[in-house]
Amino acid sequence: MEPKSAVPLKKTGAGNAVRPQVAADSAAYVDSGKPAVISAERFSFFYGSKCGVNNVSMDIRTGSVTAIIGPSGCGKSTFLRSINRMNDLIPNTRTEGTLAVNGCDVYDKRTNLINLRQQVGMVFQKPNPFAKTIFENIVYGPRLQGVRSKRRLSEMVEKCLRDSAMWDEVKDDLHKSALALSGGQQQRLCIARTLATKPNVLLMDEPCSALDPIATARIEDLIAQLKGTYTIVIVTHNMQQAARVSDYTAFFCLGELIEYDRTDKLFTNPAKKATEDYITGRFG
Amino acid sequence: MRTQIRQSLDKMFTAFAGSVVLLIAGVLLVVLVPMFRKGLSAVFFTETVEFRKLQMDLHDRGDERTLKQELERVAAARKPIYDILLAFSRGLDMEPRVKEVKNIYQQYGEYLNYRNTPKEQYTECRKQAKEIRDTILDALESMDKQVVLANLDKALAQKGNPTFKDTPVQHFFTVAEQYRKTAQTVDLTKRSEYLAGLRDVTAAIRQLFGPLPGEDEPPLPMDQYGATRMDMARKALHTLLWDEQWIADGPGKPLVKKIIARKTQFTGTELEPLFDRVEKNFNALLLPRHRFYWQYFIDDWVNSHYFGGIGPEILGTLLLTVLSMLFAVPFGVVSAAYLVEYASDNIWIKIIRICINTLAGVPSIVYGLFGLAFFVITISAIGKPCILAASLTLSILVLPVIIRASEEAIRAVPQTYREASLALGAGKFRTLVKVILPAAGPGILTGIILSLSRAAGETAPILFTGVVAMGPIPNFGTPAEWVRNPASIFGGLFQPTRALSYGSYDIAVGDRISMLVPHQQFGMVMTLILLILVLNVTAIVIRSRLSKKLRGH
Repeated sequence: MEPKSAVPLKKTGAGNAVRPQVAADSAAYVDSGKPAVISAERFSFFYGSKCGVNNVSMDIRTGSVTAIIGPSGCGKSTFLRSINRMNDLIPNTRTEGTLAVNGCDVYDKRTNLINLRQQVGMVFQKPNPFAKTIFENIVYGPRLQGVRSKRRLSEMVEKCLRDSAMWDEVKDDLHKSALALSGGQQQRLCIARTLATKPNVLLMDEPCSALDPIATARIEDLIAQLKGTYTIVIVTHNMQQAARVSDYTAFFCLGELIEYDRTDKLFTNPAKKATEDYITGRFG
Repeated sequence: MRTQIRQSLDKMFTAFAGSVVLLIAGVLLVVLVPMFRKGLSAVFFTETVEFRKLQMDLHDRGDERTLKQELERVAAARKPIYDILLAFSRGLDMEPRVKEVKNIYQQYGEYLNYRNTPKEQYTECRKQAKEIRDTILDALESMDKQVVLANLDKALAQKGNPTFKDTPVQHFFTVAEQYRKTAQTVDLTKRSEYLAGLRDVTAAIRQLFGPLPGEDEPPLPMDQYGATRMDMARKALHTLLWDEQWIADGPGKPLVKKIIARKTQFTGTELEPLFDRVEKNFNALLLPRHRFYWQYFIDDWVNSHYFGGIGPEILGTLLLTVLSMLFAVPFGVVSAAYLVEYASDNIWIKIIRICINTLAGVPSIVYGLFGLAFFVITISAIGKPCILAASLTLSILVLPVIIRASEEAIRAVPQTYREASLALGAGKFRTLVKVILPAAGPGILTGIILSLSRAAGETAPILFTGVVAMGPIPNFGTPAEWVRNPASIFGGLFQPTRALSYGSYDIAVGDRISMLVPHQQFGMVMTLILLILVLNVTAIVIRSRLSKKLRGH
């Protein structure tokens, strides 16, 4: 996760002052239509003294699919994992600026982590179902929310599996171990598991990087289906994928947000030279 | 390096590693096979009729009628042997003879008093009787055959004396006649030698067939029965037939052990036929039969492991092991979880970790002394060696092992599991309980298996804290008592118990009994190994089920 060439920032006050023009400009491009569900305001993230995300300001629209692209170590995953505070697992980190989900500051001390993470679901790079049955995997979240009734849990399992388009594949094997599924199925199960907590934001951290093209296609179909109901933020290395699935695309480089725009615009007519170089494969 | 050299080195290593593994397997076989062979002889052996009698007397096992018939048959076969022995010992053992003679003299005095014999006649009769008595006593004391025979003849000459007709004095003549017979056959100069030999022979006969007829019932059960097992019977037969002596070949020469047939020692005496008789009719005298004595695993001992089984020992070992696991596993797993999941990596945690690793290597006797000092002496609620103190000591002994294994297992759970659970909105504790511990289950079980074997086999920690070699079985009360007073179920925890490990140690150090009953000792060791094997196999089956479930097959 640690950016190799992250820019070490000067201390607090100075950091805020150096707000890159680009970010402000690109945010302006998409500042229209639906309200923002996630909004970052001069948000920076530090691993000890190293800077992972530097002074990012961006709004993510409700019901959209937003792709984050960029070279390795550019801070895109760090940014994504900041949204539901998964970075808390790493010791010695700190943040600057604000990052709000549904208008609440994520890094406020009073933030209820459990509520936040139930609102903001996350799908990881590697499929990580629990070593439990398919059924148990999906009801893990609802049980945390206090759903006890067996009938309601079964309904939820069916709904989530239908939503993630795998009900027909596994409806007879609900009580078999999730680890017996294929990689693609496991990843869709993880999505279903996340849907079961009824989030409004879905964070996907390179969800297809461990999958073959066919499984990838199914996940992409799934993302298309889920669009509108959920706000989806997807980190990907695959620019074709970003172009295929997303409404908006953000380009990160060296921890900074270089450009953020509508996907068709960014891929056909990037405003920045760096973006163009990256998407045409000249660097990165 | 050249490819060829590399390949040959590779082959050499393979051969070396393979031979090391083979060596270990061989050592294991060399150690275990004789032990199991001896141990199994506690369960599979050839019993004698004495064993059946013992089982009937103590446990009411077997068919009473058949046993009675068998005992009658055996008694009939043994009678001639006892007769020979009795006749010979009568002729030889002077002390009872002297006593008998003196007794007869006294009886005669009483007889005369009873008849109100006039004083003069009384004195006369007594004088004559005293003469006879002294003659016989002289004969009994003398070692010279001529003197003996002369004295006896002198006494016997009085046989026709009408004064003594139908009086106790007649017994003098019976004794004299009997002794005359013996004196003619026995070399009287060797009398003390014969006596020593006779003592050995009688002891061997007692060992073989139990107390001699007409003897008082001995207080110890081990003396009440003859040889219960054929291997013990053969040992007794050997001491009956052969005498070991340390003899110098000449003056100044070192003593050499020589084995001499007793038959040659007693050549020409009345005792001589006894040896052949016992040897030839050995089976008829003992009625051997093969036996699978499975009750060995449930019976209590009789006469401190001389007979009987090891039921309480097995129970005690199981109890100690299970209890110590009950104490150690929750504490061990919780501390491991804390160390991995909660504790930040500071100097204190590092020190604690070093301490735990050091504790794992501390000799077990140190734990035993600690248990004595702390659980038995300091904690006044316990106050005396008992099961509770012993199992707590054992649990402290295995705690480091469990902590270390659990720590490794919890650390090995993929970080993605934690992330997945946390991302779904679970708290740290819930993640630990619902996701991490189940996933670490097989690894934790490995630690439990290791410590289980250790706890079951340890002797030193329980030595001072709660085991006894001999003693009552801990009393946990009856269901009726539990209803009346629920706390009474824990009463047994405050009593000492017996255990397999300490039991075999105790037999090994008590040299006399270990010579007599090697099968008991090896039986205990074998049972301990089997018990650990069973416990381990159970745990391994659970572990493989668990990991299979986790892998999803």
